[in-house]
Parts: sequence; structure tokens; C-alpha cells
Amino acid sequence: MQTLTSLERIMKAVHLQEPDMVPTFEIDIDERVIEALKPGAVYEDFIDYMDIDAACYHETRTDSYEVLDKEKRIVRDQWGAVKKFSGVSFGIPMLLEPAIKSKDDLKKYKLPDPDRPERFNRIKDAVKRFKGKRAIIATVRPFATMRDSLRGQDELFKDMIRDPEFVDSLDHLLRGYYGRLVKNLIDAGVDIVLETADIAFTNGPMVALKHQSRFIFPALKEIVDYCHSRGIPCLKHTDGNIWALMDLIVEAGFDGIHPIDPVAGMDIGEAKDKYGEKLCIMGNVDCGNLLSWGSKEEVRDTVKDCIRKAGKGGGYICMSGNSIHGAVSPDNYAEMIRAIREYGKYPLSLA
Amino acid sequence: MFNLDELTNSVVDGQVAKAVETTQKALSAQVPAKEILDNGLLPAMNRVGSDFESGEIFLPELLMAGDAMKASIELLKPELTSKGATYAGKCVIGTVEGDLHDIGKNIVILMLEGNGWEVTDLGIDVPPQRFCDEIKKGSYDIVGLSSLLTFTMPKMPETINILKEAGLRDKVKVIVGGVPLNQSFADQIGADAYARDAVEAVVKARELVNK
Repeated sequence: MQTLTSLERIMKAVHLQEPDMVPTFEIDIDERVIEALKPGAVYEDFIDYMDIDAACYHETRTDSYEVLDKEKRIVRDQWGAVKKFSGVSFGIPMLLEPAIKSKDDLKKYKLPDPDRPERFNRIKDAVKRFKGKRAIIATVRPFATMRDSLRGQDELFKDMIRDPEFVDSLDHLLRGYYGRLVKNLIDAGVDIVLETADIAFTNGPMVALKHQSRFIFPALKEIVDYCHSRGIPCLKHTDGNIWALMDLIVEAGFDGIHPIDPVAGMDIGEAKDKYGEKLCIMGNVDCGNLLSWGSKEEVRDTVKDCIRKAGKGGGYICMSGNSIHGAVSPDNYAEMIRAIREYGKYPLSLA
Repeated sequence: MFNLDELTNSVVDGQVAKAVETTQKALSAQVPAKEILDNGLLPAMNRVGSDFESGEIFLPELLMAGDAMKASIELLKPELTSKGATYAGKCVIGTVEGDLHDIGKNIVILMLEGNGWEVTDLGIDVPPQRFCDEIKKGSYDIVGLSSLLTFTMPKMPETINILKEAGLRDKVKVIVGGVPLNQSFADQIGADAYARDAVEAVVKARELVNK
């Protein structure tokens, strides 16, 4: 088969076709892993060096933070929430004080500017470097913004029962913002939009299906529909056991689902069998234990297993079960990529 | 005999005002606080815990039930504390250093409190020394260590080692929990127990203090 560019490879998989080989990319790659495998490299250099098929850019990384206490790593995010960075995790800080504590706060609330040009600087640089060669993916996360910045998780979840109209108001507030942001990202040249708000835990959905359908999925469907109107695929990420949510994800029109969380007991073969004709299946290589502490042989075996179960006929992107976080062994990640390239060539030789 | 079913149901349904009203009624009827806890709240939290575990209810319902339970416990506290050792045990809990996740930990706290435990929550991003300092201060039965991120798991053995160095390891039982953990990790680091979820945390805590 003719060798495809990384962009073509990803797009074929996303459109449920068979590329020249199983593609790979990661939602996040910790800088410690990058430094260990390619000392001194910035993210984009690393993507080229490892020949990763897509570069992923995060909404949260484009936020502007006002530093409130440098020593304690406490900041105010662009939404007005007070947060704390742990200093060791991926740059997603924990909420200390939400932006909207009452209905009065909501009345006075002023959204950040989705058109702020600096927000798109990295995407524009990525477009210059990768456009037409590697897929440029931008992430958005409206429900996570509502939960982790505007209202706070516990209050938001309780609002769903005690004051659902309040949650509706927050949802509608954010829809305008995200509509604009997604438009700007596509205008700037992204190839794919990836929605990354976690909506499930290890044992199942965070909130009941009736709440998912009312407060979460309508906004997601708007984003998917808009992306499709511009010819851009839209993918969904959520950790956790998502069997109960798969039909909602399909109905919303998403093109792919990540990461088929192995820690939550998600079986990639079952996901492929049940949803492989509707969704690109992405992920499932365990990064909790295997990539952190497993042997290279175990990593190869798992990659082979994932490709065997989900690679047939295309429509699979081999990725970790969440991200390449700071505890992942750099050697194991390199081994994972080697194994994908070795065993992922179409036609697949794995029985 | 006062029927505590109404209290149980109001907590299960997350009705804070009704839980408060029913608790007040029971106290006015001279029902001992310990009996209200054991026969009103404990069955409620056990039901909520098992419904959550089986996917019949979700976080919003669990949190509302937790609020109702806490409101009721607040009313019981004066009597419970004045009569001495009525708690099932005393637990200090926190998410280990570098980790900012607290959903799982908070559910464990809810379940422990609903089962009559006195719980001190150290919050998130808790350095090993902070656990040690707290254990020095109070007479805890259990220390609960939570972690969601693989790369913060090493903080658990670090915490256990600091407890050993401070001569406190034998005074407190260590339970660990969190998505990336398993029993073999707990064994490897010398924890006393691994709890897969909040319901199991309560069971393990009870077993450890009854040993």
C-alpha cells in the first residue's frame, strides 16, 4: 500500500477506513518523557522526532492565568475561578473557589474573550509547521469548564437536582463561548476538534443519563454539528466506564471515542465489535500500570492485542489509555510506538 | 418506639430539610443520638452506597444524600460527643502530595461518616509529613491515602516510611485507594488494606479496627 502522510493516516482512521498503518498520537505527553527521549526538544520537535501522527493543542493551555500566590501556585483562571497547580501534574489546576457562587454572580458574569488572538498563537505556529503533513488537533471542554471553573463539581452536581434551570443557564452561557472558540480554532487551521471533558468514572457515568442528556450532550452536539458543517471531524474523550454513554456519544455524531479506558474495565474488542462501524476507536494501552511499570515485552504484547482486536479494517488509532503522563517510562512509550509501527502495517499480519 | 424509616428515606432521597425535621422530631422524642445514627442514618448511607455502586444513582444523588446525612449528624453531634466513645472509629484521610483529585476521597468520607466514623479530611496535595503531623496530634485508628495519578502513587510508600521513622506506624492502620491502585501495590508498599471503592473502604476500616 502507498505510504500516507500522518494527516492522511489519521483522517482515514477517523473516517473508519483502512490507512497504510495504524496511526498514533497522544492527548498529552509529559515534558519529562519528552526530555528523556529527545533532550532539549520542544513538543513539536518531539512529534517530528518520534514521527507521531498528530499534534494536540489544549484549550486549557491557552488560558491566561493571573498569579495570586506564586509560592503556593495559586492562580485565577480566565473564567474567574481560583485554582491551585500541584506542580507535578499536567498543568490542569484544581479548583479552590468557583467563579459563580450564586445566581447573582451569574447575572453579573462576564465571559472571557474567545476571540483573543494570543489564544491561537500556538495553533498558528503548528499550522505553519505541520499543515498537510500531520493532523493538528485542538481540544475543547465545555462541561469541564462548567464543572471545574464556573460552578465547582459538588455544587454543579447538586444543582442538577435542586436547581436544574440554573445549570441550563450555565450551559447556555457557555454554548455561545464555545461556538465562537471552535469557529476560531477551525479558522486558524485545525484539522480535528477533540472534546475532552470526563463524564464518567471507573464504575460508570458521573451523572444519570437524563442529566447527561439535558446538561451535557446538547452542547456537545452543537460543537459536533458545527465541526461537521465545516468538514472537520470531532472526537470525544472521556475516562471511565462509558458503556452506558456510548449510544449518546454516537447520537451526538462524534466521529471517534478515546480512550476505551482499560483501568475502568473497558474492553477494546467489545468496543470495536459494538461501535466500530460508527466510531473510530482510540486508545486502550494502559498507562496506569503497564506503561509506567510494565516490561517492554508486556507493552509490545498489549499493543499487539489492541491492534488485533481493534485494527481490523481500519478505524483504530493506537494510543495510551489516557495520556503519556510523568510516571510513564520513556522507554516503554518508545517501545509502544515501535510496536505500533511494527505490528500496525496494513494488511495486518496479526491473527 | 420511634420509627426512623422516614429519616432513612429522606437521606436516601437527598431531602435536607426533611432529614433535619425528622432528626429533630426523633431527638425531641428522646430517641438516643446513637440509635438515630445506627438505625436511621447508617441504613440510609448503606443503601445509598450500594445504589451508587450498582449504578442506580449517580454523583448528584449521592452528594444530595450526603448533605442530608451531614445535616442530621450535625444535630446528633452534641449528644454523640458528650457521651464519649460512640464513634465507630477515627480516621484521617487525604489525597497524597502532587495529586489534586478529591471525588473518590470525598465519597469515602461520606460513607465513613454515614457509618459512624469521625473523619478528619486533610484535603488534597497532602505531603507525607502532614499526615505524620496529624497522626501525632490525634489518636487515629485509620489513615486513608488516596491517589488518582500513577505518578503520585510513590507518595504512599513515602508516607508509610515517614510514619515508620516517626515510630507511628504501629499506632495506625493504613488503607490506600484510587483508580490506578490494586491489592498487589498495597501489599508491596506495606499498607494494611486496599479498598476498591467507598463501600469497601468502610468494610476494610471496620475489619481493621476490630482485629
